[in-house]
Amino acid sequence: MSEEKKKKGSFFGAVKEFVYGVAAHDSARFALKSRASMEHLFILITMGDMLGVPILPPYYSLRLLPYVVPQISTWKRRMLKEKDLTDGLA
Amino acid sequence: MNSVVVLILGLVVAFIGYRFYAKHIDTKIIKSDPKRATPAKMYMDGVEFMPTSKNILFGYQFKSIAGAAPIIGPIIAIQWGWLPALIWILAGTFFIGWVQDYSSAMVAMRNDGASFGGLSHKLISPRARIILLSFIYFYLLLIAGAFGNVVVSTTIALKAAPMAWLFLTVGGILAGQMIYRWRKDIILTTVVTVVIAMAGIWFGTLAPSDKILGLDLANSRWLWAIAAFVFCYFAAVLPIWRFALPINYVASYIVFLGLFFGIIGIFILHPDFTLPAYTDFSIRIGPIWPIMFVTIACGAISGWHSIVSSSGTARQLENELDARPVGGGVMFIEMMLALFALIIAGTIYASSAEYGAAIAKGPGGIFAAGVSKFLGALGMPAALGRSYGSVMMIVLAITIMQLVIRFMRVATSELLSDVSPVFRNPHIGTFIACILGMVLVMTGWWQYLWVLFGGANQLMASLALLLVTAWLMSEGRSAAWAFWPMIFMFITTIAALLYTSFNLLQKVISGAVKGEALIGNTLMGLVGFFLVIAALILGAEGMKALKRYRAITKAQVASAAKA
Repeated sequence: MSEEKKKKGSFFGAVKEFVYGVAAHDSARFALKSRASMEHLFILITMGDMLGVPILPPYYSLRLLPYVVPQISTWKRRMLKEKDLTDGLA
Repeated sequence: MNSVVVLILGLVVAFIGYRFYAKHIDTKIIKSDPKRATPAKMYMDGVEFMPTSKNILFGYQFKSIAGAAPIIGPIIAIQWGWLPALIWILAGTFFIGWVQDYSSAMVAMRNDGASFGGLSHKLISPRARIILLSFIYFYLLLIAGAFGNVVVSTTIALKAAPMAWLFLTVGGILAGQMIYRWRKDIILTTVVTVVIAMAGIWFGTLAPSDKILGLDLANSRWLWAIAAFVFCYFAAVLPIWRFALPINYVASYIVFLGLFFGIIGIFILHPDFTLPAYTDFSIRIGPIWPIMFVTIACGAISGWHSIVSSSGTARQLENELDARPVGGGVMFIEMMLALFALIIAGTIYASSAEYGAAIAKGPGGIFAAGVSKFLGALGMPAALGRSYGSVMMIVLAITIMQLVIRFMRVATSELLSDVSPVFRNPHIGTFIACILGMVLVMTGWWQYLWVLFGGANQLMASLALLLVTAWLMSEGRSAAWAFWPMIFMFITTIAALLYTSFNLLQKVISGAVKGEALIGNTLMGLVGFFLVIAALILGAEGMKALKRYRAITKAQVASAAKA
């Protein structure tokens, strides 16, 4: 690709990203936040097995366990992070 | 002066501010390092902390900070003359506005993406955190009241607005349904729903509210205040994808297109300012200092931006070098938006008397008339242009308002759920927020309400700058560029809030106001005093912290000299 074409492409790419940022980035973030709150519940269900304490019927939670384990560190950080009102605003 | 000169002046200030001043601070004092891991990278969780391209964040930051305030502020402030307003917009953005937006993103980024509550706890004192958060609740209430008033006055002044607003709502709800339920293509969804919203703007001119509802109902403040808060109620209690977000999505196209073509229209028409450059030191809402400095809020500096910068943007920046274009650069764009509004107010009326008659009905009508004139330069019929402008105004106000009501609901449940579990119910929290907002809208004189909102907003900004100064001093960096703007904003806003609250309560005590105005004056006056007291405590705590940091720095310098 010639230098000029690259420049043109990056300009339109930047405009596209800007429009996405204005119009839809917010929606994407809220969608992720909703999914994360579902994940919190999901992880809580399997919490017993992760701790080695069978709090809930273990069969189902054991089946869910592999899905949850890779996310446990970011989940912990998100749960333990100090939150206040301003977190909800943006 | 010619309006194009004003726009060019704005571009020059933005260029110098961004290219030289901001770059100097960024490279020499903050020392942004592209190799340093940002919180977005370090704590990436795929939700809040997520490395995002600077172009996307530029758009996101712009959309989050560009509400009704940068437009309404200059329209009201031109009552002192356009020259003081112009100077404040340019100088305020250059010395204070971008400083606050950029540095609040930076301070959060260098502190692991902590929000303001956590930062004030860490940098100032534990008590500072509680006071700051209760301050924010009342600040949100004033936003709801001031912006609610804008919506009500616009729907009354422009009879085409209600129908266009209704169509926009329908288009927005349909957009949510199409994207999230029917899984339709995003381009198809956008085209269909934006066309519906545009059709509403046209239909509004054919079916104005006074023809459908009758003149009495179309002019009823009660009706439109209830409509605005019912709208916010749905936005707060329904899932966010079903109502609030898709409506904002459709609305963003309308606002964006309107601004883009409006600015082209200014270049085509390039009218001269017709209103006087300077009128008087003191006008009906108060003296030029401090009141004008809080009337023009977001166009020069705004506390709202610091919240967006710290809690939103700072957690998504993938490179420290992006903080200058996203935090600082967007503020200069917002300054251009304020200049656009100033040009509208200053050029579309032949005389001060005509402007005076228009401003008495609220700022929405003036903005819509301006949009109509400048879009008219591109061939849009005047009535359609007015309808377009009115929807832009409503959209700019109500998108922030619905967000505010939503978070007041969350705040109510957080603050009061220990008192009674009933406050955990989302409907109760939303209802309380809506009722408080309604009381302000229905009983307060809108210009005072605007000044109080501006005062709280600017005070929030000076508190953000206080946090930034504390951080800079704790790290032993040069802090004068944040400290002096903070001192200026703190003194100005405290003076403005005290002046307005004193005026309001004096009228209550002397018995000059009765009925609705009595309730409005009392409530606004008390909220104003509460904000002042909270800010004074925070200021005192902040100064103690600054002294502490100064003593530590001095001790370090002395021990280094000895060694």
